[in-house]
Amino acid sequence: MLVVRPADHHDLAGIEKLVTTSEARLTTLSNQRDQLSQRIELSQQAFAGERSVAGKERFLFVMEELPQAGLSDVDSSNPNIIGVAGIDACAGNGAPFYNYRKDELIHASHQLDIHNKVPVLYLTHELTGTSQLCSLSIRRDYKQGNALELLSRARLLFIGLFREHFSREIIVEIQGKHTDSDGSPFWDSLGRHFFGMDFKSADYFSAIKTKTFIAELMPTHPIYVPLLTPEAQSVMGKPNDAASPGYQLLLREGFRTSKHLDIFDGGPTLSARLDDLHTLNHSRYKFYQSSDQVSKGCKYMVSNPTLSDFRCVLASLDEHEDTVQLEPKLVDALQLEEDDRIAVVAF
Amino acid sequence: MIIIRPIETKDLPDLLNMAKNAGSGLTTLPANEALLLEKIESSVASFNQNTEQNHRFYMFALEDTEAGRIAGVCGIEAAVGLTDVWYNYRVSTTVNASSELGIHKQTPTLYLTNDMTGCSELCSLFLDADYRKGNNGRLLSKCRFLFLAQFPHLFHQKVFAEMRGYSDERGVSPFWESLGRKFFSLDFTHADYLTGTGNKSFIAELMPKYPIYLPFLSQEAQDTVGKTHDNTRPALAMLKSEGFNFNGLVDIFDAGPLVEAFVDNIRAVRQSRLVSVEVGCAPEFDETDRDPLIVANTHYLDSRTGLISKQALVGKRLLISKSQASSLKLKTGDQVRILSLRESVNLKSTHK
Repeated sequence: MLVVRPADHHDLAGIEKLVTTSEARLTTLSNQRDQLSQRIELSQQAFAGERSVAGKERFLFVMEELPQAGLSDVDSSNPNIIGVAGIDACAGNGAPFYNYRKDELIHASHQLDIHNKVPVLYLTHELTGTSQLCSLSIRRDYKQGNALELLSRARLLFIGLFREHFSREIIVEIQGKHTDSDGSPFWDSLGRHFFGMDFKSADYFSAIKTKTFIAELMPTHPIYVPLLTPEAQSVMGKPNDAASPGYQLLLREGFRTSKHLDIFDGGPTLSARLDDLHTLNHSRYKFYQSSDQVSKGCKYMVSNPTLSDFRCVLASLDEHEDTVQLEPKLVDALQLEEDDRIAVVAF
Repeated sequence: MIIIRPIETKDLPDLLNMAKNAGSGLTTLPANEALLLEKIESSVASFNQNTEQNHRFYMFALEDTEAGRIAGVCGIEAAVGLTDVWYNYRVSTTVNASSELGIHKQTPTLYLTNDMTGCSELCSLFLDADYRKGNNGRLLSKCRFLFLAQFPHLFHQKVFAEMRGYSDERGVSPFWESLGRKFFSLDFTHADYLTGTGNKSFIAELMPKYPIYLPFLSQEAQDTVGKTHDNTRPALAMLKSEGFNFNGLVDIFDAGPLVEAFVDNIRAVRQSRLVSVEVGCAPEFDETDRDPLIVANTHYLDSRTGLISKQALVGKRLLISKSQASSLKLKTGDQVRILSLRESVNLKSTHK
């Protein structure tokens, strides 16, 4: 059974393993143990509602595979971590958050009968402070199936429950297209000229360093897209193959591609108003009853309503009853108290 | 005799023939009869002071008096960019540095400027292929310095010249291919022609306004920034020896260098001087003489410039023949402005 819950220190080794073997790029999640540990610490403060991180919460979730036999068999010091995902309440986390905004200028001459739309990239901080989904990574053998969707959408269910922590608009940066050898055509045509390093190195620094070096090295003038290489132009705003399923999922959820691109690899940025997101619009609070006699219904995501001990699982249930029947092992997994209500949304 | 004089309306057929032979690269001399006539008329009006001083365009013709034709032209624009907009790129440097990462990166960057606005321009230099020999090229180019020296009040204190940029044997400019074409959707020759015809508003409409980081251009294009066309190299060398400097301004189409100088600092202006003419018995001028004097009368409307042997300079008097006097519109007692044609030779050393 899959459960999504806040990350804690027991998960460190599992997350580390996941991140270091991830085929996808995770700018927002370092593979350095001490930095990961710090990130978990920050996340715990966020889930605990500590004032020190208010407004800049960095929630980090893990997805754990619980043994079918039930919670009694779980080795809590060595959880089976198969996915990780985050929500930053405030993109940039207090520092500037960099994007390119792709605009268009019209270069037209009536006299010559020329009318050219010229795309231009402007370096912008305008998304700084917007809430963002980030740091999604999932074990390769779980990519097919429900795990990715559960992990990704559990965050939206969480946001719906605790809206006051987040901005009304939310963004997701999607990894851009890379070459087989881990290069980025976009980077090679743009950033490399100014940073004097390959994409991997820049990406590495961006994960472990402050954003100061970006401010220092990134070109400040707008960039005319027609001056980039054809390869770079063709990958702009396109998701990496590895990120494509997650990208599709978000589009289905109600996210839209925006004018913003990643400054390093040209990957797309998706954005949505919370009010437009399917998961938020269709989630309902329900009472529950623990029961061995669960009539099989449709598949739903179910979560408890608790910030600090958030849990989210998949269950088959009948939404049309006011009181939903839940198997005892799900009640356990959701760590539900007697009078808790649950949040449910169709899966 | 080969002389330089203000261009006249009767020169139109000769000028059109030359323009047709010139091909692209001579922005200011397109092969368009109406336009060339317009230029001639503009020059005639300028000499007659019928146009506002800032809008004057002085065009000179190199005339072969024996052949009865003109074989070259050169011009001075009194001031550029005062009615339309004058564009150049300035090659500047952007430095991005991170001490934390030990990176210090210099990026040449092109900024669109109007820095030359109001300055005077040496332009429209063209010499027919048949006459590209002997001293003709130097005479045609340098006659303008004597005019500047004689009538400085008509010009800006700074003059400049744009040198034709690099293009390959097929006439393709790598700089244009890598930059202008992407915004103009035109061939270089077409764009160049349009500029020459005075249709400049399209530049403002189509040109990228933001700075251009040079590494975005092809390596070939980067290599040609500030580089002149092979055929223009001697002209550039001549201007440099006259004290003109390249200060980072290049043409927006082909990235050819712009060289500039203050009139007072031009060697020819500083070293030219006035002497009196004596018509009579004078040394013959041999066209193969590599080291003659340029001699310009000090008339304005009847400006004439030609070459005279250095042997003719005796103290502060210049001895000229009757036919020279007639060609240069001089009589005994007139003042002339003289200059050694070759910059390596200081005129003072020839004083007797």
